[in-house]
Amino acid sequence: MPKELKNITQNIMNKIHHDKIKMRPKAYFVIGSLFSFIGLVASMLTSIFLISLIRFFLRTHGPMAEYRLEQIISSFPWWTIIIAILGLVIGIWILRRYDFSYKINFKIIIIGFILAIIITGWIIDMTGLNNTLFRRGPMRGIMRQYFQENNILLNQ
Amino acid sequence: MMSDYEIFSDEEMVEKIRSIDQDFYAVIIERYQNKLLRYATNLIKDKDKAADVVQDSFIKAFINLKSFDIKKSFSSWIYRIVHNEAMNIIVKHQKEIKFPDDIDFKSKEDIGKDFEKKEIVAKVEKCLAKIPLLYSEPLALFYIDEKSYKEISDILRLPMGTVATRISQAKILMKNICQKN
Repeated sequence: MPKELKNITQNIMNKIHHDKIKMRPKAYFVIGSLFSFIGLVASMLTSIFLISLIRFFLRTHGPMAEYRLEQIISSFPWWTIIIAILGLVIGIWILRRYDFSYKINFKIIIIGFILAIIITGWIIDMTGLNNTLFRRGPMRGIMRQYFQENNILLNQ
Repeated sequence: MMSDYEIFSDEEMVEKIRSIDQDFYAVIIERYQNKLLRYATNLIKDKDKAADVVQDSFIKAFINLKSFDIKKSFSSWIYRIVHNEAMNIIVKHQKEIKFPDDIDFKSKEDIGKDFEKKEIVAKVEKCLAKIPLLYSEPLALFYIDEKSYKEISDILRLPMGTVATRISQAKILMKNICQKN
């Protein structure tokens, strides 16, 4: 046995016997995976919400687009973008941390994420789901309050 | 101790370590330490640092053993950990060898005829230090550690086609760089 290796087994087994190194519990990895999954889903939902909101604003404001655009920018909920970016970055970071040893193609995850947002946004737009949610659904109260707080008029 | 457990696969041993007795981890270390030391030495060209890398990798693997999926290959998993640890050292010390500009990869020569497997194994070990890591690593895994393209693909996180191309190009590099000496 090479001299470099003669103590490896002994060193590691000593550390195990003296509890200097311990196996992380299964729950640790389950929670880690769960958090990364929740993070990814949350950032996806936030992004879809953002796209729907942008489309909604553009449709609602009509003429005087320049003025309206400034109004949209000033009253836009920028924190949602930060949450979306943070969610994605933290999600990937956690995935890398816990699944460090398996082949994960992050390019495919990111491309899949972007495609999922675009396709979901397109489906929502095609089916008119966003309008239904904003006018009749559970989002109605929230949106009205948001418009009132930011002095935005609805063209209805 | 080793001979008593030879009948068990790595994955079965991992299950025993996790559920019966942590002392079985010594069997895993014995099985892999020589192979991993050779692999790490080929990567970082320094036996002492390679030994540290192997030890750290075994520790990291033990700590995260419950995240290992026993339906997958333990061998690829532990090699991947060593690869990651070695890459951290390489990045730290910037020991990457510069790629030679004058190599023609488009040669239509049948390299397989010139380099039979047994011949290559002996030459690869001598030659590895002269080949850029990008090519020497898959070559070493294929010829020295006898990993399949699928396993190399899992360890290096590269598509199998890229692995095949790199090994093929590594053979051309060997011919151009190493056979001259």
